[in-house]
Amino acid sequence: MTDSAPAASAAATKITVRDLHFHYGDFHALKGIDMDVPEKQVTSIIGPSGCGKSTLLRIFNRIYAIYPKLRAEGSIELDGDNILAPGYSLNRLRSKVGMVFQKPVPFPMTIFENVAYGIRHHEKLSKAEMENRVEQALRSAALWDEVKDKLKQNALGLSGGQQQRLCIARAIALKPEVLLLDEPTSALDPIATGRIEQLVEELKGEFTIVIVTHNMQQAARCSDLTAFMYLGELVEFGPTEMIFTKPGKKQTEDYITGRFG
Amino acid sequence: MSIVSSTDILEQRTRRDARHERLFRWLLKGCALIVLAALLGAAGATLWGGREAFTTFGWHFLVSSEWDPGNDVYGALVPVYGTLVTSFIALLIAVPVSFGIALYLSEVAPAWLRTPVASAIELLAGIPSIIYGMWGLFIFAPFFAEHFKPWLTNNLGNKPDDGQLSWVAEHVPFIGKLFGSDYPFGASILVAGIVLAIMVIPFISSVMREVFQTVPTPLKESAYALGSSTWEVAWNIVLPYTRSAVIGGIFLGLGRALGETMAVTFVLGNSMRLSSSLLDPGTSIASAIANQFSEAVGLQKSALMALAFLLFVVTFIVLLIARLMLRRLASKEGR
Repeated sequence: MTDSAPAASAAATKITVRDLHFHYGDFHALKGIDMDVPEKQVTSIIGPSGCGKSTLLRIFNRIYAIYPKLRAEGSIELDGDNILAPGYSLNRLRSKVGMVFQKPVPFPMTIFENVAYGIRHHEKLSKAEMENRVEQALRSAALWDEVKDKLKQNALGLSGGQQQRLCIARAIALKPEVLLLDEPTSALDPIATGRIEQLVEELKGEFTIVIVTHNMQQAARCSDLTAFMYLGELVEFGPTEMIFTKPGKKQTEDYITGRFG
Repeated sequence: MSIVSSTDILEQRTRRDARHERLFRWLLKGCALIVLAALLGAAGATLWGGREAFTTFGWHFLVSSEWDPGNDVYGALVPVYGTLVTSFIALLIAVPVSFGIALYLSEVAPAWLRTPVASAIELLAGIPSIIYGMWGLFIFAPFFAEHFKPWLTNNLGNKPDDGQLSWVAEHVPFIGKLFGSDYPFGASILVAGIVLAIMVIPFISSVMREVFQTVPTPLKESAYALGSSTWEVAWNIVLPYTRSAVIGGIFLGLGRALGETMAVTFVLGNSMRLSSSLLDPGTSIASAIANQFSEAVGLQKSALMALAFLLFVVTFIVLLIARLMLRRLASKEGR
């Protein structure tokens, strides 16, 4: 088995990462990553703090590009097109790749507007169509029943877990193909975390999901494939079951058995 | 024995603490009351001082544009109008410019440029108003009279050469009235508004910059992740998130503009004649008081006091409107 090719799955490859390097100014944060993310599966990325897992995730939708002095080299192909190529439009990329962040950050608007906001950027819909899309997104995010009577209220009134599901609804409302989750439960209590994990399970039929987590149990519970990163390198990548039961590398074993990290 | 004495000490201590606590509370309450007393005292004193003017002219004082010390007839319309219009022009210019400055400094500018420019703006806020006034009188007003005013009157108002209306003035209502002028000097309501704008920009922009920096990074990143541009993030996320503080900053600037005396006195032209044109001289409440107080006696002095009271009222109404606006915005957002 090579590092870049997951053995088990027969699914088509959605994202192909080749020789990816990333620099924060002078700091060389990612050192030659090769990785094939399969379509409509959950891929989790684990590793100790500072290993570059969030950095890698933030390259998939080029969110890093809003800051100066950050630079990515190599190639990331999404359905065969290199998203790092200067000609690849950010708008197109961000309509295809949605992202949910660590802390729930609803926009300072009503619940309805939070979901409608992103859709308006990419599509022109009539009022009825928009209402339909918002409902659909909120249903997919398992939030509809809780908020259907207060769509016109400010989103900041929701609980932390609800806010995070709203952020997921906001991301999937654009009908992206890939959903990036950057430690989506690290600010939530165990019950809210459970709901998000259940949601990830439900959503994977529709989206290719990449989730960064510092919680190994979470990776074991809800992902099909797991990548272990350490010091800016991809140490091991394969079916979750294998990574957690018989890891191929000593470093992986040390990490998942809690000897460091 | 020892047990008894220790409870005694404890009780003493409790009593002493309670006493200190009471004293401390009274002290704090006193500090807060001083502000209230000063406000009511100043408002009451000006109202009392202006009672003669109010009783002599009644409601007429508010709506009359006549200010004639020779015949002892006074009306507050011209200074009130001048105060409101100069401040309005100042905000019209200062708010968008400050928004741009704050946005540039908090979102766009490279890191090495942010601190020096921010401190420069704060220094600008510290310049005494008389210096702005002098600059306005000796440099800006003549420059304006020579370069901008002819263009404005020729293109938007009546042409000074032949008195004909310009094309714009003929076809767009009101514009001709705002920009027509036969008066040859620079000092005018528009110039005062521009100088005021320059004076309040540092206040508004430094408040805006500070609150823009409080917007959480993930919030902005999530908007970028949905495909927003920098402008859209600023307009749809940063501004609504910081809205009440931004409005607070604008009203801080407005408060300064309404009450500004020295600079306005220099560049407003001090004319008690009511004119619809922004290019004609006018007066404001503060500058009318500054100009006339030293030689005013009797009814004129009372009229100036009444003007001062009106400045209180105008400021109070403006702040009230700001409050109502905030509340309406909040309810629209579902809060």
